[in-house]
Amino acid sequence: MNILRTLLVLLIFPGGLFVLLNGMIYEWADRKLVARLQNRIGPRWFQPLADMVKLLAKEEIVPASGNGRLFIWLPIVALAGVMTAVLYLPIGGLQPAFSFPGDLIVTVYMLSMLTLCTGIAGANTNDHFSLVGATRTLTQLFSYEAPFLLAMLGPAVAAGSWQINDIMAYASNHPIILLQPVGFVIALIGLMGKLEMRPFDAPEAETEIVAGALTEYSGRGLALFYIGRYAELVAGLTLMAAFYLGGIHSPIDYVLKTLLLLLALVGVQTLMTRLRIDQVVGLWWRYGALLVLAQWFVTIVLKGIVV
Amino acid sequence: MRIGAMLVDTLRSFFQKPITQMYPFERTDTPERLRGKLHWNPENCTGCCLCVKDCPSEAIELITIDKKAKQFVMRYHPDRCTYCAQCVENCRFSCIEMSSTEWEMASGGKEFTINYGSEADIEHLLVKLAESGPDEA
Amino acid sequence: MSESIGQDKKRFVIPIGPQHPALKEPGHFDFTVDGEIVTGATVRLGYAHRGIEKAVESRNWTQSLYLLERICGICSHVHAMTYALGVEKLAGVEVTPRAQAIRVLVAELERVHSHMLWLGVAAHEAGFDTLFMFSWRDRETVMDLLESFTGNRVNYSANTLGGVKCDVTPEITTAILKGVDFLEERSQHYLKVVTTDEVFLQRTRGVGTMTKEQAELLGVVGPTARASGVTRDIRVEAPYSAYVDFPVQTVIAEAGDLEARFVVRIKELFESYRLIREILSKLPEGELQVRMPRKVKAGETISRVEAPRGEAFYFIKSNGSDNPERVKVRTPTLCNMGSVVATAVGHQLADMPMILAGIDPCFSCNDRAVTIRDTSGTRYTWEELRRYSIDFYARR
Repeated sequence: MNILRTLLVLLIFPGGLFVLLNGMIYEWADRKLVARLQNRIGPRWFQPLADMVKLLAKEEIVPASGNGRLFIWLPIVALAGVMTAVLYLPIGGLQPAFSFPGDLIVTVYMLSMLTLCTGIAGANTNDHFSLVGATRTLTQLFSYEAPFLLAMLGPAVAAGSWQINDIMAYASNHPIILLQPVGFVIALIGLMGKLEMRPFDAPEAETEIVAGALTEYSGRGLALFYIGRYAELVAGLTLMAAFYLGGIHSPIDYVLKTLLLLLALVGVQTLMTRLRIDQVVGLWWRYGALLVLAQWFVTIVLKGIVV
Repeated sequence: MRIGAMLVDTLRSFFQKPITQMYPFERTDTPERLRGKLHWNPENCTGCCLCVKDCPSEAIELITIDKKAKQFVMRYHPDRCTYCAQCVENCRFSCIEMSSTEWEMASGGKEFTINYGSEADIEHLLVKLAESGPDEA
Repeated sequence: MSESIGQDKKRFVIPIGPQHPALKEPGHFDFTVDGEIVTGATVRLGYAHRGIEKAVESRNWTQSLYLLERICGICSHVHAMTYALGVEKLAGVEVTPRAQAIRVLVAELERVHSHMLWLGVAAHEAGFDTLFMFSWRDRETVMDLLESFTGNRVNYSANTLGGVKCDVTPEITTAILKGVDFLEERSQHYLKVVTTDEVFLQRTRGVGTMTKEQAELLGVVGPTARASGVTRDIRVEAPYSAYVDFPVQTVIAEAGDLEARFVVRIKELFESYRLIREILSKLPEGELQVRMPRKVKAGETISRVEAPRGEAFYFIKSNGSDNPERVKVRTPTLCNMGSVVATAVGHQLADMPMILAGIDPCFSCNDRAVTIRDTSGTRYTWEELRRYSIDFYARR
């Protein structure tokens, strides 16, 4: 019975198939909304699915330069990381599949696996676009990761727990978005950095370095990286909604809150110009990190006063 | 000094109908002056061939069947035509015009030649061409 | 693969082109980078050489007009106009003022379309796709105007030797005025966007700066030169066609960076709108065409026209027959290409597409110059080369 449940959790819900489909739908919603904001029609609903089917069916070309085995395993590890993270999240408005004290840290780091694997994948070839893309991916990772983590830990500090469930219970009773507005903004922008969305898409800037770190990827490997990114979109939005928008209590709650966040992401995406990598790093360390630390300080002081 | 200078545009377009036209399903009327498929009216043609001489892409041939009886056939190759309308300008008897409605000239087949003229003349020409062996024109 | 070994140290080269998402036409740029900083740049052109100049020699004067019009897909009218003005000068044909005014009208509409197109492309290179989509949406307005006026969206064929083909009717006047009003309002908005949007300015202000001295030294032309404070505009310096009766103001900016190029190009749009309105209100009466001889008197001439990108230069030589003896074309992109290489060094790799787009390059236009560096190889005459090519294909 236990094995059956584990398999179900891993492959159907909340991990595996559900996240995959959910991610595709959100990816479509993202593209469609961007298109509508730009007065275009945008893709039809099955476009991400069609892309994935096509990519998975295509031949994967492994470049002669670099380590072939690493090339094949990296996308799998990346996807596995994201899928693991999903297990600790209240996906779909239901209870997380697994929960233990400190799962927040595991989740946040599992979500970084994708970026890390992308970076290594780019460094694992002799292609110049990939190498520059990998450098940029990892540089960007190091710039947004700390502020993003701190922003995620803000509610945790307020709740006094490292467990996602506890923080969510705390968030349901406290308007965290009002108490920690800076943390919310930083976390939202950090999520965009994670997903390499518009102002932070220097690592895959097509007009400069073609497809960045993933230039050499084709077929299955590319599809897995994309699926990983779709899943990360879902995971990130869920985490944000659970912490900052008063928790997730039902499927309708889940859909409404994550879509609201997605809309915010879309708005920022359409209004922004791609930033150069030096500007990204400057932005995060000069403003992001300092602001979120100040927020932390305020949170701790407030907590001290309240207690 | 502001961020998101195009906010108003994006918000407005969110509530607007997309500007994209779903082309094969909906189409706007073409302007009157659009240069589309060439049409040849043999009535006034004198066979001066000025149109053929200045055609930049050799898209038209005027084949004389009987000069005195003013029997000509115009072979038109839309695949070569650049739709510049120089032939229309050159014709002093207004025999040539370009349609403003027939502009979807893509074809799935290999047959791109259109013959203009009276049916008997075309028949005559085709028979003659068939006799002289396979011709790529 | 493309890692090339320098004389003594390994260089890291980022190849851009001939196939690259930033380039819509083939051209090749090698940027040597140190991390993200560009330390060297080389350019290689010639991927889209089409032999148009040679092909013109075997066509008659009228046929050549349409072939030359196809040198550029964006400033096609300018090429036809430059050629037509040159040939008319050679033949001693005086074109009516009305025809000249209509030529200028189409040229200015084309400038509007070209600058709007550039605005979108440059925004896309910077990663500002919203501006790209909106400017191209509004560009459709002027494309539609050109289509209803001349009969085609590109390669308008408005010119013919000895005049123009399309006349201005009251309906077309109304349509153009209405379209221009809309476009002027939008251009005001875009000017505001490119000069105030803080994030976009991060990518344009102070990037790719070319001083006035540099601009003069490199011999850049068109809006690229004017953005560096060089007053270089054929419409003003050597007025041709109807620009004699309808003078234009030169728009210049001093900064020389990418922002200045945006500003210059958008402000030029306002000048074009003003000119279009003026021409439509004071259009001279007269015939559209005058008779043009089939054979043009022997002689040589030079014809210069201000294309949207700068000066288009034609040298036309006639030997008295009905074919041109020689037509030499020099398009503005070739003059501006040097500035890319000169300004690239010291900038970030991320700025390269922007700097490249900043000159509004049109690769297929400029690919016709051939420099023979190595003179030791086999030399062919035209006839020998022709025979060789026939043999080559027969052997396959």
